[in-house]
Amino acid sequence: MDDAALIRAAQAGSGDAFEQLVGAYDQGVLRLALNLLRSPEDARDVYQEAFLRVYRNLHTFRFDCSFHTWLYRIVTNLCLDHLRKRKVRKMEPSTVETGDGTVDRLDNVAEQRAHADPQRALLSSELRDKIQDALSQMTDRERMVFEMRHYQGMRLRAIGEVLGTTEEAAKNCLFRATQKMRTALGAYL
Amino acid sequence: MTCQEAKEYLILAEYSELSFEEEERLESHLAVCSSCQAERERTRKLAALAAEGEAGLPAGLLPRCRRELAAALVQERRLECRPWHGFWRRWVVHPPLWLRPVGALAMVAAGFFAARWLPLPSGLSPAAGLTAAEPPAVSTRVRLVNSEAGGRVRLLLEETKQRELSGGLDDDEIRRLLLAAAADPADPGLRVESIDLLKSRTSDDEVRKALLDALRKDPNSGVRLKALEGLRPYARDPETRRVLASVLLHDDNPGVRTQAIDLLVQSKEPDVAGVLQELIRREENAYIRSLSQKALGEMKASVGTF
Repeated sequence: MDDAALIRAAQAGSGDAFEQLVGAYDQGVLRLALNLLRSPEDARDVYQEAFLRVYRNLHTFRFDCSFHTWLYRIVTNLCLDHLRKRKVRKMEPSTVETGDGTVDRLDNVAEQRAHADPQRALLSSELRDKIQDALSQMTDRERMVFEMRHYQGMRLRAIGEVLGTTEEAAKNCLFRATQKMRTALGAYL
Repeated sequence: MTCQEAKEYLILAEYSELSFEEEERLESHLAVCSSCQAERERTRKLAALAAEGEAGLPAGLLPRCRRELAAALVQERRLECRPWHGFWRRWVVHPPLWLRPVGALAMVAAGFFAARWLPLPSGLSPAAGLTAAEPPAVSTRVRLVNSEAGGRVRLLLEETKQRELSGGLDDDEIRRLLLAAAADPADPGLRVESIDLLKSRTSDDEVRKALLDALRKDPNSGVRLKALEGLRPYARDPETRRVLASVLLHDDNPGVRTQAIDLLVQSKEPDVAGVLQELIRREENAYIRSLSQKALGEMKASVGTF
């Protein structure tokens, strides 16, 4: 069944169709939320809230845009809310003080590369720090455009639709984001 | 094409976002400009390097999200089965356009008449005026608005009565209410504060069971950490140790796992060695692995299993 048929079936009340829709998109949603928020706990919240919103509002979906765009609009709005809340309450620190020292919350984000070679692992860790610095230098919007284009492979037009802006504005955001990334990674180029 | 234009096009070219004509213009420029060719290499390298920054999904996160979503959907469907839910959704959550001004007027009317007819909190007279500092004893919320024939309006009000209670932790009712608040799914802040108060009464079996439940099941890591604090004096209790071992192997928060290991190794019981060996085998966090190794070393146990 294609997306449109699944959506119609889910709108008619089919739980199976809804679960298939979730299964088709949920990995991308979780990955986007994790990349934008850099916190597995927050990504979990966004994942659940996004799909509950989809469930509650699917009957209002009128195929004016693709389901992917509609879903990602919900996800990016939720992520923006989380990022704004973090700024307001200065967010909990990324490290936790424990009896035996400091533990970084992001340490449980799986490192998928450079397991075997310690030298490569060190280089990779330095590089990731630089990339994190660059991402934190970006505005929320620049970061979203960069993440969606770079890590999700979305077209600029689709990103513009998700963020409720034009392709041109998304393009400008991508330029600025890339420049910031380039400045941060200058030593590696 | 100038080199500055080419520089901008190179970024778009890397993401395959150029039109056919734009790509042609860029290629023509690159054919005669060696500095832009070098720039293209740098742009390609930048894209490859930036890929290193993608956060990988932690093992088990997606299945956990799916399980939690499935549970939330069951809850959602249960709500939908309630007879008033369809009515509520159709007429209140997503009312037809024509009903919206009627609803707005009804709410204004409800506020007006409620202010006139509902009794004021005791001790206040209309002449004295309402003081903001005094919370109302009853909070009223309009849950349903319906228009009827002849311009009449029917409202369904939900009234929540507030009551203040004070007393010591030895008071059974206070303790019962705190135990209920410690499991309130809607408010993690309330759960943290309740457990913080209850943790001085862990000699009570019911309190200790509530702390163990929170440690095992609470979705909020702050609550779980608070429960761990309260269980510190019971590090030798077999039931507490069983829960700690399970938390150590399954909790997704490294802070909680670190505290759990700290508590578990306080007494060097033989049962802990197997848990620590298993932990070393599956733990992703280097710091926690090193803690386990240290504890096994102190117990003169081997790091691996044979």
